Amino acid sequence: MPPLLQLANVTKSFGAVRALKGVSFDLQGGEIHALLGENGAGKSTLIKVVTGAHQPDGGTITVAGQLVPHLSPASAHKLGIACIYQQPALFPDLTVAENIGLRLEPATATRTVNWPGRRDRAAKLLKRIGADIDPDTEVRNLSMPEQQLVEIACALGAEARIVIMDEPTASLTQKEQHLLFAVVRGLRDNGVGVIYISHRLEEIFALADRVTVLRDGESVGTSKTDDMTETSLIRLMVGREVSQIYPPAAGAPGEVALSLKNVSCGASGIKNVTLEVRAGEVVGLAGLVGAGRTELARVLFGLTPADAGEIALQGRAVVIASPAEAIAKGMAYVPEDRRRHGIILEMPIAANVTMAIQRRIFPGAWLRPKAERQLTLEYIRDLAVKTYGPEAPGGSLSGGNQQKVSLARWLATKPKVLILDEPTQGVDVGAKSEIHKLIRRLAREGMAVLMISSDLPEILGMSDRIAVMRGGTITAMLPGKSDAHEVMSAALGQAEKGVAAC
Amino acid sequence: MADSTGKFWKSILLRHETILLIVLVLEWLYFNSVGPRFGSLGNTFDIVRHSVEIGLLALVMTPVILTGGIDLSVGSLLGLCAILFGKFWRDAGMPLPVAGVCTLGIGALAGGLNAALITRLRLPPLIVTLGTYSLFRGLAEAITSGVDTFTNFPASFLFLGQDRWLGIPAQAPIFIIVAVAVWLLVHGTTFGRSFRAIGFAPEGARYAGIPVNRRIALAYVLAGAVAALAAIIYTARLGQAKADAGTGYELFAITAVVLGGTSIFGGIGSVHGTLLGVAAIAVLNNGLVHARQPREVAGMLTGGLLLLALSSSAVPRLFSRLRSRKPAKATQTVSPTPAS
Ligand SMILES: Nc1ncnc2c1ncn2[C@@H]1O[C@H](COP(=O)(O)OP(=O)(O)OP(=O)(O)O)[C@@H](O)[C@H]1O
Ligand SMILES: [Mg+2]
Repeated sequence: MPPLLQLANVTKSFGAVRALKGVSFDLQGGEIHALLGENGAGKSTLIKVVTGAHQPDGGTITVAGQLVPHLSPASAHKLGIACIYQQPALFPDLTVAENIGLRLEPATATRTVNWPGRRDRAAKLLKRIGADIDPDTEVRNLSMPEQQLVEIACALGAEARIVIMDEPTASLTQKEQHLLFAVVRGLRDNGVGVIYISHRLEEIFALADRVTVLRDGESVGTSKTDDMTETSLIRLMVGREVSQIYPPAAGAPGEVALSLKNVSCGASGIKNVTLEVRAGEVVGLAGLVGAGRTELARVLFGLTPADAGEIALQGRAVVIASPAEAIAKGMAYVPEDRRRHGIILEMPIAANVTMAIQRRIFPGAWLRPKAERQLTLEYIRDLAVKTYGPEAPGGSLSGGNQQKVSLARWLATKPKVLILDEPTQGVDVGAKSEIHKLIRRLAREGMAVLMISSDLPEILGMSDRIAVMRGGTITAMLPGKSDAHEVMSAALGQAEKGVAAC
Repeated sequence: MADSTGKFWKSILLRHETILLIVLVLEWLYFNSVGPRFGSLGNTFDIVRHSVEIGLLALVMTPVILTGGIDLSVGSLLGLCAILFGKFWRDAGMPLPVAGVCTLGIGALAGGLNAALITRLRLPPLIVTLGTYSLFRGLAEAITSGVDTFTNFPASFLFLGQDRWLGIPAQAPIFIIVAVAVWLLVHGTTFGRSFRAIGFAPEGARYAGIPVNRRIALAYVLAGAVAALAAIIYTARLGQAKADAGTGYELFAITAVVLGGTSIFGGIGSVHGTLLGVAAIAVLNNGLVHARQPREVAGMLTGGLLLLALSSSAVPRLFSRLRSRKPAKATQTVSPTPAS
């Protein structure tokens, strides 16, 4: 049996950037093949070649023994290749069912749509992956993880022979992750070949049969997952050891920097949230998809201002009606959806980094390109952003590098209260541990950090205290040293703890 | 090294502005060869006089379009402001400078109305300014009952539109000042950058703390105020103010901006591009008269020029796409077919 998919010596350049330098790769039917590598290693580029989104500069693609000379998105679809991109690519103004229908329904002779059938199928697919999403909602009203679930439903419904998943779990919580894993294993058992990209090593070990590591656009080896350990994988990927131990917590926290008393916001479903974050403290915000964590962050940052309750900064009651006001009061918010909210893809990295500090670095509103470039270069170096320079547009960066730029923008504001929403989504292991150290250092220097994360180890490893949200309110406060099970059951609402002592 | 300098020149040469500049020079050379008086200094000043008002509108249309918006009301507002200027002076008995300042204020207010409807009611700029396009013109007609015109302005005022100052048309320095100011605003300040950010991603700009509504308001208020300035210069040039002043000017202004390389979807564009666009249209319109062509041809050619300029900047993109496809094809033919 020939492999389901075989790539030989594939190359691809973007201008002077050589994203793929001759990569060979193969995928068997009934296999989950993980693709691993640092940010900017070329993973997304490789799979875009397979889905026909990018034309390779050289090399060959063979699907089930058949050489495919020219792969377009349409022909890839016909060959049974389905893909969940790193960034959901749904139409925001259409409903979930319409989006799924657009991807999956062949055109009928009369160009008519079977509306009930479309809705039914969408509902069934969503149910199969355990997503609690109404097929009739418009996609613009869905959160990032919900959109990702819709993408997964599409890929599932395509009944493809080859399913590619580019960081499908980046913003999913454990509950959805487990459902997704079951779906992926089900696909494999039916003979489907799955290419799975993730920066979370534990997922790779839980799922993958084989793993291929990319480094700087080259394949540095393929092996059975069983033959590898986390350390050996990381060494292959990064070329050095990376400590996966979370940095130690700081000493006693300082004054209360941010305090919420019965904060509510009808429009975003936030109810009676009471919470304190002290200077020097990292408070983790855990919960399932739809628990209201991002919504709470948006309320705090003035994007959907609170309509009841009290918010105080450094003990002083404040009203925050817009992000501009929040920034002026020393708050920063690294948003969840980096492509829509975190950076502006068409603008240079430099403009993105300085966007929230325009007042400070451009006195009198006059641009100062030199100072801007200097500052941007510092952040590019500190966060190891892989790019050719500060003038590169944000959209030319790989997913993880876009995340770093989004982070840089808000670190540059030197806030007193930093709200992080999935700060390390899509970031590779090496950079992730650097970012964790950075967050700790900032906390030690007196910053108050509220960190939303769906990555449970991250929540457990980084938090001094953990607030668990469910249904738009905080249902439990747990100490930082809690175990995973405790947090999960609080998030699921199994053991009602109430707002326990902390 | 050689490679990078080659690239540098290629990037300059393929710039939209460069192509437009070449078109402009060709236009000029052609009309100069067919119309004997075309190249004279007097005619050049004529071109300048006739393009200042549309040029002003195009300048301030640029930031509006950069934010992803559009202002269809500027031509009508020019008419309304011309009428009000006349009213202030003749009927309210204001001295001309005071009438001028009041007119500028009215223009800014009208721009503020556009801005308020767009940002507060979240209506699309196209719809809002289509409404105020009719509203402003209708007001102008109502005020004059459609017949009243204002004339007999003092010579000291007409100087502004008809005479020379330091050897150049008197309105030219005003235009230059506005052009430099708008250029600095768009290319040298955080305001310009905010316009672009809003044009690319309004939500993304809001998340970054940019006061989106205030910036949008700035663009429309500026457009309104400068439309009023254009109304005053228009009145001085023609020596009269009528309710139909500036009819259709909004479309000329938008054409010049788009011709100058500004994306109608917002984000991308430049003020110098707009200036080249204004010049290309002005030279074309004037040159056709010298080439003894009927006026009707002008509209046709302006349209043709617009399509040409837009597609010519698409040509390099087309080329690079073809090039990127070729090597892939080459390897296909030599690659061995794996045993199946
Ligand atoms: N459209 C583009 N224009 C220019 N450069 C690009 C473009 N797309 C990708 N690149 C570059 O190609 C390289 C590989 O990017 P790619 O997106 O494949 O990385 P990745 O392995 O998926 O990383 P991540 O883990 O961060 O998602 C990066 O250096 C990136 O900057
Ligand atoms: Mg990627």
